[in-house]
Amino acid sequence: MHHTRIFRNLMGTFLILGVMGACKEQQKTGSDFDRTNMLTIYADQLIIPAYNTLQTWVNALQVAWTGFEINPNTTSLQTVQIAWKQAFLAWQNVNAYNFGPAGEAGLQKSLVEEIGTFPVDTSQIAAFILAGDLTLNNSDRDTRGFLALDYLLFHASDQLINEAPRRAYSGAVIQHLKSKIDAVVTGWTGYRASFIAANGTDAGSSTSLLYNEFVRSFENIKNYKVGLPAGKRPGQTMPEPMRTEAFHSGYSLEALKEHLNAIRHIYDGNTGGGAVTPGFKAYLNSVVGGPELVSATEAQWLLVKVALDAVPVDKPLSQLMQEEHLSIDALHTELQKHTRFFKSDLSSLLGIAITFSSSDGD
Amino acid sequence: MQQIATDIALKPRFPLKNWLHAPVSAAPLAVFRMVFGLLMLGSTLRFWAFGWIEDHYLESKVQFKYFGFEWVTLLSPAGMYALHVGMILGALGILLGWYYRWSAALFFVCFTYTELIDLTYYLNHYYFVSWVALMLIFVPAHRLFSIDAWRKPGIYGTETARWSILIFQFLLGTVYVFAGLAKINYTWLIDALPLRIWLPAADAIPVLGPLFAWHYLPWVFSWAGMLYDCTIVGWLSWSRTRVWAYATVVLFHTITGILFQIGVFPVVMMGATLIFFPEKFHQRVLAVLGKTLPIRPIKWLESLVFEGNKRVRMILLGIFACFHLCFPWRYLAYPGNLFWTEEGYRFSWRVMLMEKAGTALFYVKDGVTGREGVVDNQAFLCNHQEKQMAMQPDMIVQFAHFLKKHYEAQGVQQVKVRAEVYVTLNARPSKLLIDPQLDLTTVQDSWRPKTWILPY
Repeated sequence: MHHTRIFRNLMGTFLILGVMGACKEQQKTGSDFDRTNMLTIYADQLIIPAYNTLQTWVNALQVAWTGFEINPNTTSLQTVQIAWKQAFLAWQNVNAYNFGPAGEAGLQKSLVEEIGTFPVDTSQIAAFILAGDLTLNNSDRDTRGFLALDYLLFHASDQLINEAPRRAYSGAVIQHLKSKIDAVVTGWTGYRASFIAANGTDAGSSTSLLYNEFVRSFENIKNYKVGLPAGKRPGQTMPEPMRTEAFHSGYSLEALKEHLNAIRHIYDGNTGGGAVTPGFKAYLNSVVGGPELVSATEAQWLLVKVALDAVPVDKPLSQLMQEEHLSIDALHTELQKHTRFFKSDLSSLLGIAITFSSSDGD
Repeated sequence: MQQIATDIALKPRFPLKNWLHAPVSAAPLAVFRMVFGLLMLGSTLRFWAFGWIEDHYLESKVQFKYFGFEWVTLLSPAGMYALHVGMILGALGILLGWYYRWSAALFFVCFTYTELIDLTYYLNHYYFVSWVALMLIFVPAHRLFSIDAWRKPGIYGTETARWSILIFQFLLGTVYVFAGLAKINYTWLIDALPLRIWLPAADAIPVLGPLFAWHYLPWVFSWAGMLYDCTIVGWLSWSRTRVWAYATVVLFHTITGILFQIGVFPVVMMGATLIFFPEKFHQRVLAVLGKTLPIRPIKWLESLVFEGNKRVRMILLGIFACFHLCFPWRYLAYPGNLFWTEEGYRFSWRVMLMEKAGTALFYVKDGVTGREGVVDNQAFLCNHQEKQMAMQPDMIVQFAHFLKKHYEAQGVQQVKVRAEVYVTLNARPSKLLIDPQLDLTTVQDSWRPKTWILPY
């Protein structure tokens, strides 16, 4: 029939034109990149091991705590403090995995909010101790978690050694911390399969979840770990060193470095020990415009690294904040400049959806 | 087709006027009305069920205004739910032909008001829906197969004037042709961008996924999409190709629906394009749906489409056609790259045309102390708002003005706001979009070219 032929000719034209266009272009598309493989590696070699390490250190913290409770003295407290530091550094390595079992569910906030909130409200903590309230299921998330322990274990340690109510509260915070982390570790054994199976790039896919939390985690470093204590927010008239993460123990800079390092490992697909697997970077290298973005990102990261290494280690970070030390300024600036490479360039090139809303139709 | 007596009164020296007023079957209009009502009902319920009334509106702290519609504001939660109840009742009324004109008006007002609340959520298909709803108020789409015609038998009639069907075909025609013309550019056709980004990202879709990963597919889809958009109305209008063309419509919109997160839009287009089918088709559809209702035409309704002041109607139709033919071209009046500046980008049927994203860092300075701070956008905006704002100059200005007000209230003095905005367009390395030193509080949005946008 006549109209069938017209239509067939039309479709034929579409095809020929398409192939003609195609022949002009040599560059490869991302078609050969295996996202399932990427997700499997992220789950098995980065995320789950990071949580396992954290769990191990939190268990060690609890063991040390039990020892301290039996015999509270300066030496046994030191053992607790060392275990806390290791757990706290391990915590930096899971900060970006704030989804799935670590995400929000009902009334429960995400893991980072539940056990990573800072600065802590020391007067509210004192009030809970005074009242003997060890429930820890209120909405005052700034009275528990890692940074509550930073205060309880490192501030006025003689009080902790001598006052049973303070010890009881600290013990409860450690127990709460452990239960939250145990729940996420357990959660991942079931979640792993669905994480790998959701291998698209649409909103709600694992790539999108991981990417969004990765960016949020990076921005949290910039905004809350550097910007806010340094007084870089509009409306702030001076630095607020009390807002520095781990203000009391003073392990702020070490934690910051660990956190940035973790971000870099996620980007690289670095499973530790130098092994680099297909992660966001390899994915980028397989798509249009990707190699350019990778080299721009690396160049800026180098500047971040230089700025970070220039921050003096002989003073606590909070003191540098107070002094408005130039190295903090420089670090903040380099982190700002780095934002776009992670925040918009990466998702744009990989076609990762970041919201559920309908977009423009065709 | 039987002719109506009033037709005789038309004078032959106005061929266009006569042709537009010639009686044709009202069946296509009735089917169009029902399909539209049903889809709008479904899409409103979907929007509600997804919790988007809360996500998009109730939970927002800031709304981006449409130029000229700054008076449209977010309503209270009760008001927002009422607007959506209004849309549901309006869509039901359209579907059933029940107090039809009032229903169409109710739907148009509620829907358009809601869309005008926040520029963030602008979609071409919402703009299209607003137009269709507006036009429905003025055509007798309830003559057949409606509760009105059954309730008041006088409303019933088998015929309508040609213009009342033609305006919908015309609008659809402009949507497709402008969408097609917008695709005729080097990046789309030769670089096959942004499809070269989007298609491989869709390779995990069940069954079709491996196809989307095929290296040459972006070029095939780019060219096919352009040719489809430019010519589909022609194929739909020609009886010899109509069935095949409609099959292509279904295929095309199904594929885009699977590929992209575009909600109900594909179904809306599949439903709306049915209006290109001949009377017989629609009469058969109605016959299948049930028996038509008793005939008893009355004069007043005839006058709405056939008589009345024909001169005024011709003028209105002329304005309508001119607007739709001209407005999408307004970008020509602006210098610079349209995709980069987006001056004249909206309301021009440019759909799924580019991959664009940005990061916007806002610096707020106290003019007295000289202290400058960086804004955490997420403290004010949701992800979607931040994403849209960070690449569109007029939204950037609006946000800067909001920040000025906000921080003034916080006690910052002589507030200056500047923004470092890096935008990537179709996989190009990100570049500064606007002058990062410019105090945005001194800038007012207008129709004039935005000279502070840096060259592409």
